[in-house]
Amino acid sequence: MTDNSSTEEMIRLLREISGKLDRILIQGSADKESDDGILDVLDVMTLLTLPDHLRTTATALFELGSATADELAEKTNKERAVESNYLNQLVRMGHVAKNRNGRKVYFSIGEGLGK
Amino acid sequence: MALTIAIHSYKGGSGKTSFAINLASAYASVGKSVCLLDVDLKAPSSFNYLLPESKHWVNDIFEGRYGVMDVVKDVSKEMGTKGAFYIGYSNPDILAVREVSSKDRKWQSKALKLLMAAKKDLSNAGIDVVILDTGAGVDFTSVNAIAVADHVISVGRPGVSRQRLMEQIIGGVYMPLDKDCYIIENMCHSDNPTDLSGKKFDLPVLASIPCMCDVAVRGDNEVLVLTEPYHIFSKKIYDIMESLDKITS
Ligand SMILES: Nc1ncnc2c1ncn2[C@@H]1O[C@H](COP(=O)(O)OP(=O)(O)OP(=O)(O)O)[C@@H](O)[C@H]1O
Ligand SMILES: [Mg+2]
Repeated sequence: MTDNSSTEEMIRLLREISGKLDRILIQGSADKESDDGILDVLDVMTLLTLPDHLRTTATALFELGSATADELAEKTNKERAVESNYLNQLVRMGHVAKNRNGRKVYFSIGEGLGK
Repeated sequence: MALTIAIHSYKGGSGKTSFAINLASAYASVGKSVCLLDVDLKAPSSFNYLLPESKHWVNDIFEGRYGVMDVVKDVSKEMGTKGAFYIGYSNPDILAVREVSSKDRKWQSKALKLLMAAKKDLSNAGIDVVILDTGAGVDFTSVNAIAVADHVISVGRPGVSRQRLMEQIIGGVYMPLDKDCYIIENMCHSDNPTDLSGKKFDLPVLASIPCMCDVAVRGDNEVLVLTEPYHIFSKKIYDIMESLDKITS
């Protein structure tokens, strides 16, 4: 190997490393976004990834806008306790917001925590 | 509630917009109160500039700037239909299209809520049938509309390769969203008899519409269902309308 070709080889390797570092940096910033809670937004693509029972509940909530567990159970034809359980799961996942108004608890699709 | 139908396809150029305009016109011509919305915000069709202009855009609904009834325009006089015929266009200005294409998921989530609310408003305003002309493929503009609709009509060109794609979208989008779906085979040719119903799902095929130059050539300047109701294409559309009436009544 001549001097010239080994220099070229080194430059090629450095470029490759530089490219890998770039990708790691890009990856890192994506992870950070999810820490900020942007992934909690319930959009229709996320809706598609939910298990069937939660998707039914979330879709009904999209239609109703804001609803109590009773109102939602009426719409989905399920037991109130069951629906309440699903709603609280969605709250824990960050997809649904829970607000108390007097003695009633209202659920609505969350706004997400990110930007 | 207004009967809400999303017109969709996996691949572009399958005839969604032509079908949507004609189906909406067919409903309006028999006296139904109809609203046709172009929700393809990323590639607005403006319904081929066939129908009269309007002041506001469907984009304004998604932004929460205007309610749907402020956006749509009744064109029944111009079109000569018995029933009210409301139309809403997406803004074809390139700035508006670029803006929509850069919206984040949070905006899309709100857009879905606003579209749900728009459907309610249309029902309250006495609209019988809402037709949503969506963009092709899987993205927010199409899937939000599918989520809002009661029924999805998937317009596709027949063929083995497309059959597999059809199965993907049925199993991965329509079914999980719990929609009643139907298939229209469009631009059919006797050389290509493979149907689209998909062995796996066996969805009803409402019609097979042949490939006809008339549709392509005259479709830019007229609504065949209204100008020539006895055309083969128009008859197919009226048949589809009747099938839908039977299914939904
Ligand atoms: N049955 C038919 N026979 C012949 N040409 C047709 C037929 N149906 C539609 N076309 C023509 O095919 C072209 C594409 O149709 P159209 O714009 O309705 O498709 P689209 O699915 O809405 O497309 P896009 O995905 O871009 O929104 C148009 O020129 C239209 O006139
Ligand atoms: Mg179109």
